[in-house]
Amino acid sequence: MEHAIVLKPEILGFYNINVAGFALKNLPITNTLLVSWLAMIILIIISLVATWKLKAVPSKLQNFFEMIIEFGYQTVEDLSGSKKAKVFFPIVMTFFLFILTANWMGLLPGFGTLTLSQKPLLRSINSDLNMTLALALVSAALTHIFAIKYLGLGNYLKRWFSLQLFPVFLFVGFLEIISEITKVISLSFRLFGNIFAGEVVLSTVSSIFAFVVPLPFYFLEIIVGFVQAAVFMMLTLVFMVILSEKHAAEEH
Amino acid sequence: MCLVTFTVLVTIHMEILNQFGISPILLAAQVVNFFILLFILKKLLYNPILKVLETRKKKIEESLKNAQEIELKLQATEEQSEKIIEKTLKQSQQILDETKEASSQMLDDAKNTAAEIITKANEQAIELKKAEYMKLEQEVKENAASLVSLVFEKVIGKRITSEDQKALIEKEVKNLS
Repeated sequence: MEHAIVLKPEILGFYNINVAGFALKNLPITNTLLVSWLAMIILIIISLVATWKLKAVPSKLQNFFEMIIEFGYQTVEDLSGSKKAKVFFPIVMTFFLFILTANWMGLLPGFGTLTLSQKPLLRSINSDLNMTLALALVSAALTHIFAIKYLGLGNYLKRWFSLQLFPVFLFVGFLEIISEITKVISLSFRLFGNIFAGEVVLSTVSSIFAFVVPLPFYFLEIIVGFVQAAVFMMLTLVFMVILSEKHAAEEH
Repeated sequence: MCLVTFTVLVTIHMEILNQFGISPILLAAQVVNFFILLFILKKLLYNPILKVLETRKKKIEESLKNAQEIELKLQATEEQSEKIIEKTLKQSQQILDETKEASSQMLDDAKNTAAEIITKANEQAIELKKAEYMKLEQEVKENAASLVSLVFEKVIGKRITSEDQKALIEKEVKNLS
């Protein structure tokens, strides 16, 4: 492979937007951003086709999506109860579908090999920390928003700042705040690390011998891509459920 | 002191973020991407399919309920038909019994009448025999009388008339006295 994989995503060009007086100059378009738009378009087209003509007796694609969505909804409902499931489900499912599509798209031929002015045109989305960090931030932000929504601001703050001025409780609150920061870091770096490492492994193996030998690694990456999507989804769901339930110390 | 360590930490952090090519605009772009995708997928994929699943669930529940009702109805009709069959069996048994009784009675009657007829016929036959016998006796008597008179005629050579008879009788009577 000609291009060594670097940590930074390659910037393909800059774009200027001017919407209603709000000007954004030099908006960088990276190859990962481009691919994430492609992934969105693919997902939207597939879902359009799947639900184009909804029938009581489903067609093959509709049946497939019904299966996925029913399984996802059942999982969310089991963990969070049917009331919260309606709110949590779309977010969690979108994380799963988007990350899965992104990971599997990154394995397609052309990724890393097609170039535009000596920069790779396509790059697996999650091999860019920007993308995974953005997803992790969205996940964390939504988690806290739901916590405030379901607990109320007072109950929400009690988790972090105990009213009892006892050093242990203060320390526990501090630890909780630290754990929230680590959640974001672990979510983003787990996804980024797995996919980036996969890309490096694939390019290295391909540069040693490009025929047949990389195949087992491709299978491995297919599994890793699925597992990482599922892990991100499940962790987001679990964090949402835990934070939107009353703090255990309060029930005493 | 504290401020210095903080600034050092922040600069190290910025350095790491720089190495990974983190830029706030890209982060914001990806966040916007995610929310657009969330909105569109919710409209296009989740809501319609969840609706379909919900309606299907309801339909299945309904049809299951219907099936149960049908089964209950079937059971009831089965019970009813059993009852009816039992009733008809009883009735037919009754009818059979009745007819048996009637037929046996009729048979008895017939036997009785037959016996009566036979006895009557027997009696009649006996009477008839008697009458014939008497007739025969009479005939025999008559014939015997004429035979006697014929024998007398042959012996006496004379036809016995009633006068003769009288005379004979008188003679006999005279002899007796």
